[in-house]
Formats: sequence, structure tokens, C-alpha cells
Amino acid sequence: MSEHMQAVLDSAASSAPAWLGDVLNTGRTQWQSERWPSRKTEAWKYTSLHPLEQPFDAAPQDPGVADVSDLPELSEHRLVFLDGQYQAQLSSEFAQVGVRVVRFTDANEVDAERIKSQLGKSVDASNHVFASLNDAALNDGLFIDISANAVVDKPIHLVWISSGQKPAYTVNQRLLVVAGTNSKATLIEHFVNRNETSTVFTNGISELVLEHGAVLEYYRLNLERAAALHVAGIHSQLADNACLRSFFVTTGSKLKRLDVVTHHAGSGAHCEMNGIYLPQGSEHIDVHTCIEHAVPHCTTDENFRGIVADQASAVFNGRIHIHPDAQQTRAELSNRNLLTSDQAEINTKPELEIYADDVQCAHGATVAQLDETSLHYLRSRGISRAEAEVMLSFGFINELVDGIRLEALREYLRPFLARRFAGDAQLARHLI
Amino acid sequence: MSQEQINQAIDKEYAAGFVSAIESDTLPPGLDEEVIRFISAKKNEPEWLLEWRLEAYRGWLEMAEPEWAHVHYPKIDFDAISYFSSPKSMEDGPQSLDEVDPELLRIYEKLGIPLHEQEMLAGVAVDAVFDSVSVATTFRSKLAEAGVIFCPISEAVHEHPELVKKYLGSVVPRKDNFYAALNSAVFSDGSFVYIPKGVRCPMELSTYFRINEANTGQFERTLIIADEDSHVSYLEGCTAPMRDDNQVHAAVVELVCLDRAEIKYSTVQNWYPGDAEGKGGIYNFVTKRGVAHNDAKISWTQVETGSAITWKYPSCVLRGDNSIGEFYSVALTNNLQQADTGTKMIHLGKNTRSTIISKGISAGRSSNAYRGLVRMSPRASGARNYTQCDSLLLGDKCAAHTFPYIETKNPSAVIEHEATTSKVSDDQMYLCQQRGLDPEKAVSMIVNGFCKEVFKELPMEFAVEAGKLLEVSLEGSVG
Amino acid sequence: MLVVNDLHATVDGKTILNGLSLTVNPGEVHAIMGPNGSGKSTLGHVLAGRPGYEATAGTVSYMGRDLFEQDTEERARNGLFLAFQYPVEIPGVSNMEFLKASVDAAREHRGEEALDAVTFMKMAREASKTVDLDPAFLKRGVNEGFSGGEKKRNELMQMLLLEPSLAIMDETDSGLDIDALQVVAAGVNSMRSENRSFVLVTHYQRLLNFIEPDFVHVLSGGRIVRSGDKSLALELEERGYAWIEDEVA
Repeated sequence: MSEHMQAVLDSAASSAPAWLGDVLNTGRTQWQSERWPSRKTEAWKYTSLHPLEQPFDAAPQDPGVADVSDLPELSEHRLVFLDGQYQAQLSSEFAQVGVRVVRFTDANEVDAERIKSQLGKSVDASNHVFASLNDAALNDGLFIDISANAVVDKPIHLVWISSGQKPAYTVNQRLLVVAGTNSKATLIEHFVNRNETSTVFTNGISELVLEHGAVLEYYRLNLERAAALHVAGIHSQLADNACLRSFFVTTGSKLKRLDVVTHHAGSGAHCEMNGIYLPQGSEHIDVHTCIEHAVPHCTTDENFRGIVADQASAVFNGRIHIHPDAQQTRAELSNRNLLTSDQAEINTKPELEIYADDVQCAHGATVAQLDETSLHYLRSRGISRAEAEVMLSFGFINELVDGIRLEALREYLRPFLARRFAGDAQLARHLI
Repeated sequence: MSQEQINQAIDKEYAAGFVSAIESDTLPPGLDEEVIRFISAKKNEPEWLLEWRLEAYRGWLEMAEPEWAHVHYPKIDFDAISYFSSPKSMEDGPQSLDEVDPELLRIYEKLGIPLHEQEMLAGVAVDAVFDSVSVATTFRSKLAEAGVIFCPISEAVHEHPELVKKYLGSVVPRKDNFYAALNSAVFSDGSFVYIPKGVRCPMELSTYFRINEANTGQFERTLIIADEDSHVSYLEGCTAPMRDDNQVHAAVVELVCLDRAEIKYSTVQNWYPGDAEGKGGIYNFVTKRGVAHNDAKISWTQVETGSAITWKYPSCVLRGDNSIGEFYSVALTNNLQQADTGTKMIHLGKNTRSTIISKGISAGRSSNAYRGLVRMSPRASGARNYTQCDSLLLGDKCAAHTFPYIETKNPSAVIEHEATTSKVSDDQMYLCQQRGLDPEKAVSMIVNGFCKEVFKELPMEFAVEAGKLLEVSLEGSVG
Repeated sequence: MLVVNDLHATVDGKTILNGLSLTVNPGEVHAIMGPNGSGKSTLGHVLAGRPGYEATAGTVSYMGRDLFEQDTEERARNGLFLAFQYPVEIPGVSNMEFLKASVDAAREHRGEEALDAVTFMKMAREASKTVDLDPAFLKRGVNEGFSGGEKKRNELMQMLLLEPSLAIMDETDSGLDIDALQVVAAGVNSMRSENRSFVLVTHYQRLLNFIEPDFVHVLSGGRIVRSGDKSLALELEERGYAWIEDEVA
């Protein structure tokens, strides 16, 4: 397997807590047995890993203090990490009944046991090569433990910042969330980069374990720009009657790849998975989602939309897998795309794999341009073509954004997205 | 509907599964350059064609069998297959129907193929391929009047070498894929059609394929050329006897559809699917592709009920501006059949249009996958595609899959893809039964209704046959 | 205000208007009536500049300028308003954003300051009350999930806010119950002034009971075949369109 990641593996081996030794070893063995994916590997058919084929350093030891002046106030509970290191002075005191936040490096024996009992259980590392790399380079991670019946009323806002202090380095990011029985919580993972010319490769794994009846809202904002590389797996496991509502906002950079995998492991579970991807320039975004319906009586609603501009490219692969005996499943997937330039490219593949008969499954995918009739309607009211295009692009995305339950996030995203579609701020003025 | 009802409605023996006792001239199993030279010599082929075959063979040796399809079967031993089998009495080739072995004709009658001109359904000409050799072509004189050439490809090699040389491999290159390369190396016969400029073929052309000999592979090759402003409708039917061993069928069909021409290609594929335990049956690996030039139209319709394994993606390369591609498919799998079938619509020209309607029906313990590709190239401004993939599951042990690939590099292209999965609902069954239909009839009616959009694309005689075939194939699926 | 002279137009290559002439002076209300397929709606779309509707011959001058030299949005900013028969739904863009963008565009064109959000909000609420539309609709996507009648009221509300010089109402009355019809009529009547003109395209005389037209024209085969005052509308109501078509033929 690729020698380019050697530095981060070596660094992890020397700095990881001893109790993680088994995880690192297994990960390393797995990683070394894997073949580097090529365009012939089905899961990487439309995404070249060429940007990762260069030597990467380990993350800076002392990245300093992050600049957080431009970060939105999405919650009082904010935890900031710079190149994977916790920034106590920028994070809010976290003292809420029913939630414990533990860094792997701080874990006591009891925590360590608890982490080990859950870590990696939702991840099929043999099918996700970068998950095995994450294991192999696991020197730290964050464990959020939500007790049974806890209702966490304020969202937990995790900000992962890369400093860009070295020209090319890897950040190994890991999150494990266990949402206890009948608990309720909201979580935001928010990624930004500071030095946009630095090639920071973030290799992230987030594991969300929802126990019986747990309700978790999970928002992921991948907003790193320019040279940033981000490959991540978001793996969740839903016990019976658990409910996961997730939303993914992905703006482009040189390479972003998300593998979002949800396992319905207990009957009555529900998953809502929505997201938008907006590459421009020569950016590339690849979103692979997979819903595993392993048991009867679960439901999935999935909606992803993308607007691909300039010379950018996007990939969407949405798989719904209904296992034998997963009767009474309802799963629906919609993927809609707009191409706004003649050099933009979209590859989409909504997949159904069904082994049970009493199911309601449907998917739809469209690729189109802005609707001429709607454009005309706006123009007939005196709105310029350019502004009408911005409004319609925004509207296309905003239909999903409007469904976000967390108001603070909705309010933050609206102007953020409107500006993104308008080269000229004037054109977005009626949307902000 | 209840599981027992479903199971009862699907199980009936393969109606076309009898072995005929005809003496054959069969090569021993195995493949090397000598075998190819033998096949080529047997057909008195010109040197260039032998070289063409050998080049394909050398390419094939370097290629790996594709593994991406959603089908599972033991590795095929290509050296255990015989690559040539010719009914003995055919050695000199029949000049007319009178010279055809009466036993052969009897088989065709049993299959219900209207071979005798006097018995023929109006307007159907038949080129029958029996274990790789074209047996008889009917109605040739009438077609000749219109200037239409319809003959075995082995004959076309001699009589129309300029056409064969120009177009053979022009749509499906020799090394296009593993099976196409194998076919190019060893193809034994197949149909050749040429429709001259401006001619509307006066009747529907038809070929029946049948594999008879044990342990033989069938590798027929069809080449259809529709010259400018011409029109042809071509029908293809397939059957094979019941045998415990698996037999390989790797055909290639090439369609050349020149400016403003139209080719309609319909297939009813009923190769032996194997028995209820999955023993025997045809492995069907077929490459079918057409190139449509400016304002041309290619329409594929297929009803796939047979074969143990189906690997087949009739495709359209929409090269010319304003060209149209269509794919209408019903694929039914029962027992342990596995199908991975669909289409590719490659939009190269401006304002090209394609429609894909795919209906998959899974019963028993079978697996049925739609796999499709819609590609809009940067030049395909104003191109459109509409795809609808529906799956119907009969029973809780079967599987239905959908793998649509959509690739777009043109902002003005519009693509719409929809897929649904359903089962025959208790309510539908209840209604039918309350109106006095037995469960088997009710399922067959509902399935026929499910397939209606595709059946209406078939020529009339075929549509009736397809409906019946579905009914037979479904037997035992209602319990 | 508007002078249409011998206008020929095609829709997707098919000829629909066939030598239509019409002059509308400031302050006048013209009703254009005619059977289905006579080209009534096409006239509105050609004037508004809908893609696919192409003028092939003839001239149209609006406020003294060649209409066809202006883009769709330019015509709108110059005060030409078309109330659509089938307003499109634009999910994701709120009605309020849309209205403010339109009004700002018109004001900017006239060299006026953009309205501040609060003032505009008040205006919009006011207008929504006038057309009897729940102000909650202002926050919803443009026409998204609106009933037929709600869409028509939304069109009317846009007209109130944009204060056009020439309003073309394309079958605004179709599909409306009598209450809604009266709301529309009241809206139009309240806006009538000596500087503002209306062209009411309608199939039925019903609307004209509430909005009294100065002129009534009958369109058939893509041209105006008869003009008169409001009594012509009553005559059409009584006798249908066939007699006029017969006479013309």
C-alpha cells in the first residue's frame, strides 16, 4: 500500500495511547494488505486519488492557536480542534448533565474500555481502505458519550480546523458518538482550513452509535477550500426505533470524498439523510452513500442535490441495500443535479439492491439545467437574467436547506450559500 | 399475495427443451489457433478474415473474464467447449427448403417456428441458425427484388465481401470485451442484412437460434446495415434443449444505422434456464450494439425469460445529430436464474434522444439486475434521456437490483431516471380473485400489465408469444 | 401606449398570430375575447417576450419604443406586466425575496432608491390583504403548493406592487369562483387611472361584468376580426363565437 502515508503511521505509533495498540496494529495490517484504489476500483471509478499520491508529513506538533473570528455561533457548546489538537481556550466549558466528552488521549481505564467496546464496530474497514488507514494512524480521537434518556438541549458544535502550517500533511480525525437509549442530541461537525494553499489531507472517521430509541441530529459542514483534501467515512448504526437525521453540506476543494454508511440494525429505525454538494472552479466532490436495511420495518428518506459549476466535477453514488428478511422497508432516494457550465461534469449512480419483496423502494436521479420557464417568469417581473439564475440556483439548494431543523444553522447557511452562487454580491442581495 | 400462491404459479417444464437426434459434425472441445484455422477453412474464408479472427483470438488470450456483473457461477473452462458443431446433412449447404433435413424442419415446427413458406405468418422471413450454422433462409427471392440482402454471414463473406469487410467489427471492435473477442475469433455463422438506400424492407426479418449439440458453444454474429433513409424490423428468437451441463452462448450483434435510417431489433430469448435446482442452462453473454448516424433511430426491444445467466446490454451509440436510441426490456428470472442486463446510451451528437424502459420480474430464488449507462458527451448539446426501471418481486427469496450509471459533461443535456420496486399486492390479488380469477391467472395478468409498455413495442406475433412465454416461465411462482 | 401593427407570430414554428393590429391608449381598458386556440394567450406571451414565441412580421411599439428591441426584463421594468394564466412554481425561493427583487429592479430602473426591508414588508402585507391572500404566503416558495386561485391572487399582488403602466391579464378569471373574481376586479378597478392601461384576455364575458372595458375585440385565426364596445361582449355571451367566425369566413 501507499508509502506516502508512512510519516503519519510512524508518528501515530510513537504517540498513541498504549490501550489503542491493538487497533493500530490491526489497522496497519489491513492497510498494508490493501491495494491502492485506481479508477478501475468500482468505488473510485469517477474519482482520481492522484492528489493523494505524494508524501504527507504528520500533523504539526504545535500548531498554535486557531483564528476563530469568522466562525458562526451555532451553539454555546463549541469544541475547537486545530490539526486534531484540542484548543481549550477556544472551546466552551462543557458541563451538561448526561453528556461526557472524552479525548482518547485523556481516557481513563473505564473510558478506554468503553471506547474499545464500541470503536470500529460500525465500520467495515475491509470495504473502506481509508478507514483502515485511520485505524492505523489513530493517535487520538474524540468520544462523546450521551447517557440513556439524556436530552442535550444545546447542539454540540465541533470545529475541526487545519492550520496549514506545513505544505503537505495528514490529519487523522476520529469521532465516536454513543447516543444512549432514548437520548436526544444534536451534533455539528464543521471543517475549515486556514492556509488554503497547504495540502492538508484530512482522513476522518465518524462513528455514530444510536441505541434503542435514540434521536440524533447530525450535521456535517465540509467547508475546506482550495488545496484541502478530505476523505471521510461517516458510519452509523441504528438500534430499534432510533432516529438519525443528518445533513451534509459540502463545498468543493481539490478533493473531497464522503462515504456515508447507515446501518439499520434494529427494527423501527428511521434515517433521514439529506445533503448538498457545490463544487466550482476545478474542484471535485464525491459523495457515496449506503443504507443497509438489515432488519424489517425501517425507513429511509434520502435527498441529495448538487450544483456543479465551471470545470468542477461531482460524483454521487447512492446505494440502498435491502437484506433478505428486511420486510416492510420503505426507502426512498432522490438525487438532483444542475450543471451550470459546459465544462462541468456529474456522474451519478443511484443503486438499489433488494433481497426482500414486501418493500417500497424507489429512487430517482435527474441532471438538468435551470428551468427556462422559471427564468422567464422571473425576468418578466423585471429581474435580470443573471440575478434570476442566482435565485433559481439558490432556490434549488434552499429547498433542502429549508428543511434543516437547527435554526441557527439554517440562518448561517442561507447567506453563505447565496453568496456562493453570486459572483457579484449584488446578485445575492435579495436572498440574504 | 401469499407465498404459496406465488410458488404454485411458476413451475412448469421448459417447453422447448427436447434434444433432437441429428448427426452432427462437431469439433472436439478446446480452443487454439488450429481450431480457428479449422473453422475458417470449413467456411472457405478469405485470408483477411482468418487473420481478423486470429488477431481477435490473440487479444482474447490477454483479456480477463469480466467480474463486475451481479451474477455468480463457477469459472467456465473454455477448453471444455467445442467451438464448432454443424449438422452433418448440412455439409454442402441446402439450396432451398426442400433440401433441409426433415428432422430439422420437424424441430422447428415443434418450436412453432413458421419456417415453411406456405405456413408462414404473413411477411416473416426466417434465417434459422442451428448450432452455429445457418440452415435456411426463406423469402430470399422476394427480398432480393427490393434489393435487400438477407443471408447467412458466412455467405455474405463470399458474396458481399466489400460490405462485410467495411462493417464487420466497426460497431463492436474485435477486442471490445472478453466475450466479443471470443466471438470474433470463433464465430461460426449468423445473419447478415443489408437494406439499400431509401428502401423500406418489405417484411419483417427473423432469425431463430437454437443450440442442440451437447457441450457446444454458440457464437453467432449478426451484422445489420441500414443504408441512408432505409427501414428494417428484425426479430430474433432463441431456444436451446434441456441439458444438465451449462452451455455457453456468446453472440455479437452489430447494427449500422446510417443517416435517417431506422432499425428495430426485437428479441425473445428463451434459452434453457436450467432446472428448478439450478442445474444446466445456458450462459448467455451477448454483446449487442448499434451506431446511429444523423437523424437515425435504433430501437431495441427484448423479452428475456431464458438462460441460467444473462449478461447482455444492447446499446446505442448516438453518434449523429438528432439520432434516437430506445431500449425496451422485460427480463424475467425464476428459480435460480441470474440476469444482469440493461443498456448503454452513449450520446455523442447534438439533440440526441434516448428512452429506456426496463421491467424486471424476479421469482423463485433468482436474481435480476438492471445495469445501464447513460452518457452525455461534451458535444451532446440538447440531448435528452428518460429512464424508467421497475422491478417486481414475486416471493421473498428472490432479488432485484438496479445499477444505473449516469455520466454528464454537457450542461444542456437533460436526464431523468426513475426506479421503483414493488410486489404483487395482496389487494391486487384480492380484487382479481374476488372477480373470479384463479391466483395463477391473476399473477400472470398483473405481470402482463406490468410489462405492457414493453410488449406494445413488439411486433404483433411476438407480443402474443412473449405474453405466453411469460405465463409459462412464471408457472410455479404462485403457490 | 401600445401600438401593435400587423403582428405575425409563431410558437415552436407554428403560426398563431396572423396580422394582428391593436392600439391601446393611456387609461384605456381593452378586452380581448375569442374562442380557444384563437391566439389570445400567444399575444400576451409575445408581448412579454417568452422564449419560443417569435414575432415573424409586423411591429409593436410600446411607450414609443420598439418592444422587440427590449429583453423580457427590460420590458417589465418599463412597466409592461403580464399576469400569467399558469404561474410557475419556484420552490426554494420565497415569495418575499422574489417580490422585493422585482420591485427593486423596477425602482432601480427608474432611478429610485431600493426600498428598505421593513417598508417593503409593510407594502407587501398591505397588498396581500388587498388581494385577500394570507400574508403567510409571502414566506412560502413562489407559488409553491398554491391553489389555482391563490396563484392568481399572487399575480394580482405582484401587479399591485409593481404598479405597471400596461397590465396584460391572461385569462386571470379562468378557474376563479365568484368571490375571487370580485377580488381580482376590485384590484384592477382600484388601479385604473388615466396613465395606466389594461388588456384583459378572457374567454368569458363574466369578468367584464365587474371590470367595464372601453373596447372589446374578438380574436379569431390570429387576428382581430371585430371590435366594439362592451355591448359586443354581451352579444358574444348570448350568441357564442361561431357567428363571428362564420361571418369572417
